[in-house]
Amino acid sequence: MIKLQRSAVAAIHAAQNPDQLYPWLQKAIELEHSTIPPYLTAMFSLKPGVNDGIARLIRSIVLQEMLHMTIASNILVAIGGSPMINIPSFIPQYPGPLPLSIGGAGFIVGLEPFSKPLVQSVFMAIEEPEHPIPVAAFAAQPVPDFATIGEFYDALKKKLAGFPDSIYGRTERQVTRWFPANVLFPITNGASAGRGIDIIVDQGEGTSTDPFQSPGDPAHYYKFGEIFYGRKIVKTPTGFAYAGAPVHFDPTGVYPMRPNPKINYFERGSQARMKMEEFSYAYSSLLNTLHNAFNGDPALIDQAIGLMYGLKMIAVSLMQTPLGDGSNMTAGPSYEYINVVQAAA
Amino acid sequence: MSYLDTPRLHFTGQFQADVSTINNEVTFYDTASFTPDDQQRTTDGTKGAWNPEGTGIFRLVGCRITGARLGNRQITTWEQDPVIGTALENADDRVFGKLVDLDPQQQMVSQIWGMRLRLTNGQERALFVGDFEPAAFINLWRRQQTAVFLDQTLAAVFQSVLAKVTWQGDAKSEVLDALRHASAEGYLSINMNVYGYGRDPAIPRYTLGNVAGTIGPYLAGEPKQFVLGRQMVAGTPGGNPLAPYGGVYSFQCKVNAAQRTLAADFGHCLPIKNASGAFDPNIPPLTLAVLKEESSNILSSVGANEVALLGDVNYSTDGWYAQTAGVQDFDYSGNPWCVAHIEERPLVLLTPLAPDNSSYAVLVSETLGGWYARADDFVARVEPGGSASFDIYTTHYGKPSATTVQFSPNTGPMGGPPPEPDIATPPDAISYPTQLPTDAQGKAVLTVTAKPDGPGNPRGYIDGQLYGIGYQPAQQPAQAFVNFWNLISILAFSPYPVPEKPTWNEHIQPILQQYGNLYPIMSKHLVKLGDYDSVVTHLNILKLAFSRPIEDANYMPVIRDLSANKRTTILNWMNTPGPDGLPLKGAPAAAPAFAAKRAAFQVDLEPAQRRSKTEALMKFAARLRYEAER
Repeated sequence: MIKLQRSAVAAIHAAQNPDQLYPWLQKAIELEHSTIPPYLTAMFSLKPGVNDGIARLIRSIVLQEMLHMTIASNILVAIGGSPMINIPSFIPQYPGPLPLSIGGAGFIVGLEPFSKPLVQSVFMAIEEPEHPIPVAAFAAQPVPDFATIGEFYDALKKKLAGFPDSIYGRTERQVTRWFPANVLFPITNGASAGRGIDIIVDQGEGTSTDPFQSPGDPAHYYKFGEIFYGRKIVKTPTGFAYAGAPVHFDPTGVYPMRPNPKINYFERGSQARMKMEEFSYAYSSLLNTLHNAFNGDPALIDQAIGLMYGLKMIAVSLMQTPLGDGSNMTAGPSYEYINVVQAAA
Repeated sequence: MSYLDTPRLHFTGQFQADVSTINNEVTFYDTASFTPDDQQRTTDGTKGAWNPEGTGIFRLVGCRITGARLGNRQITTWEQDPVIGTALENADDRVFGKLVDLDPQQQMVSQIWGMRLRLTNGQERALFVGDFEPAAFINLWRRQQTAVFLDQTLAAVFQSVLAKVTWQGDAKSEVLDALRHASAEGYLSINMNVYGYGRDPAIPRYTLGNVAGTIGPYLAGEPKQFVLGRQMVAGTPGGNPLAPYGGVYSFQCKVNAAQRTLAADFGHCLPIKNASGAFDPNIPPLTLAVLKEESSNILSSVGANEVALLGDVNYSTDGWYAQTAGVQDFDYSGNPWCVAHIEERPLVLLTPLAPDNSSYAVLVSETLGGWYARADDFVARVEPGGSASFDIYTTHYGKPSATTVQFSPNTGPMGGPPPEPDIATPPDAISYPTQLPTDAQGKAVLTVTAKPDGPGNPRGYIDGQLYGIGYQPAQQPAQAFVNFWNLISILAFSPYPVPEKPTWNEHIQPILQQYGNLYPIMSKHLVKLGDYDSVVTHLNILKLAFSRPIEDANYMPVIRDLSANKRTTILNWMNTPGPDGLPLKGAPAAAPAFAAKRAAFQVDLEPAQRRSKTEALMKFAARLRYEAER
């Protein structure tokens, strides 16, 4: 089970006014964003045509993380806050802890190429539900000594429901496109805010009785389980098991990306550095655009979508760019916040 | 006004042009004979050539303001003005711009689309920000004298305007304040010299080149893609526009009569040793001068008494190119003859013939007789039954002057010999006047109209047809040097009736499969454009991309060669779900017979030159021979 600072939950409980929730909704936005770079990096590292099934699974998870980030931003906007997305500190340090010390003090998340150990020790740990449902022989029930992401969101939901509906508004500043209306809708009152939070929790964790967030669509933890165990999750007479259709993994179909790259690790004027800067610049442009979209100009979400597809194209050549240091490794994305590319000399 | 006026900013740095090379081979447009193997990257000019998975991105990389000029003052340090050292960057809130060929049979007018530029000092994200109005490069010549494997030795110029310019913050820069006040609201003039472009995947500057450019004021109603000024036209041997007789290429100048200075742009016309941009050590001493009497012939040499010297070109001064981007101002206030006559006599670029400077060789002369005509924007895509308009300007010694401009077919470097499809046929698919008068402001508007059914489908496997229109002022003497690149390039689309109920199998797949083949970065990694399931999975993003205006950097197809009716058909199909909620698939079409590979035309080239602009020019020369023999 994933743990986070107990103090966060306590602070939410103690909130007297809606604006005392702003920092915690901002944290929720940061939290939902923080897993996207590691997941995307693993996905970008998969060679096309080889591990497409795994790539599709990760992509479906990333899309939902984007949805969750959007829902959290809309709630903050609805109650009068301003998401802060275009600042360097919005992006976690990779490798490093996630926002709210998710996973406990020693839990470090980096940017690494796809591997099954990565999926198990990091991605499944991030997404582990408050009460995991035993799947086949796989079961673990540690005693909670920290708060959980579930508790964090539950506290937010209860507190939001406790304020009068009159604190909600500004629907014209919310982003409500690019996802189906049943999962992305204007936040207009405590009930819709609560429904939004339920979607975040259920898609991430599943419900306490069912690993599936909706028929045929397992929650994130179980999707990563499918990738790790190499089989789709299915219902069995006694519960659930990773015993369905194979999820094929070919270890040769992964680019040998250098883990946790940083722009300044590479020589100025090198291809690796040039492309890493290109990627980080484009990623920063995406954050700038999302910031503007959630701060008064929601139509800009179209530009943000264009930037997301553009990032994928840049990542393709990045992952195929040799470091040229004799290591056989290739460059990779570093998600650093930059708005100016350095001069070559 | 223009970038040759003041105040102006000079910038240097690099650019990336991550162009895809697979669509440089016209026969690859034949979907029936295309195979996935054609998408392989090679460095011997075969298959997908050196960058088949290019994204099309064009962006500035690490560009800084390295010089400026305010009135008669040259500014080179931060202490003189804090604009020095600021970064000229790309947009920070949208995707990068794109570099796009008009057609595989016209790769010599590549346009930048969707590029937004901003100036930032770190504190202010955009001291100004503006949209680079789409413009094609021009004036290609073999500027780079030595090369490493696969280097693009041709250099070119982009001139355009930044539009929708907005200014923010206060940089405490006198130059920026003056520039803002000198320019029309919302506009700036920009010129970029691009050179030293690397194409070898094994070297660090793969897909990168160098850029040195200038930003200056722009006034409403002026041409955007050239300077209304003095036009120096280098002579080039027939069939090879890349190597000027005098070793120095064409350039433009502008007189500032009030200030009694002449600004000349040497940013593109001087040869460089290698991709670094260091000047060719063989450049002789250069002097700009005014010819005292008009000549009816192009002179190859002059005596010292026949010219008034304006000054030496400073190219050998350390740091000169970075600080000026090659723009040099000549002060003639101390020469009464020049004050009286510079606006009515031709300019000449000279090099001494004798040690005592008693005579000079003439390397480049102003247009013979002083007349010049130029189409401002010179590239267009025309729908069946549609038209395109071109602003035509005429000048006499740089001043707008009324005359007559004559138009005639001129396809310049377009097309190639068989098996490439013929171009410019049928000849009557587009129409335009054979001549037009320009008004007192030296301006006329040329309208080119396509027949209701356009050219038909003369090239078979590739949509539309290419046409070229040459132009010249009526007074242009037969012996005048003309700029090979001064012509209008038109892609006239084929007719395409919009079907009432388009289906994937019958209508959409044949269109999208071709894009899938020729834009593998997308089809291999994002959306398999020839695959129904993949396309409907990404329907929303494709709807967005296919419905953007052509200026938008997100526009699809990147190559911008889709006719309006085909676009409408695709959008109608996407927006009309069938009973299953998805766009109509339709009855399976019979599997198309695999056609035998078309033998691509081979010219005798080093591998490094294949699938390149050099090859395109060799094909052009071969086509001329072929037509002469036919």
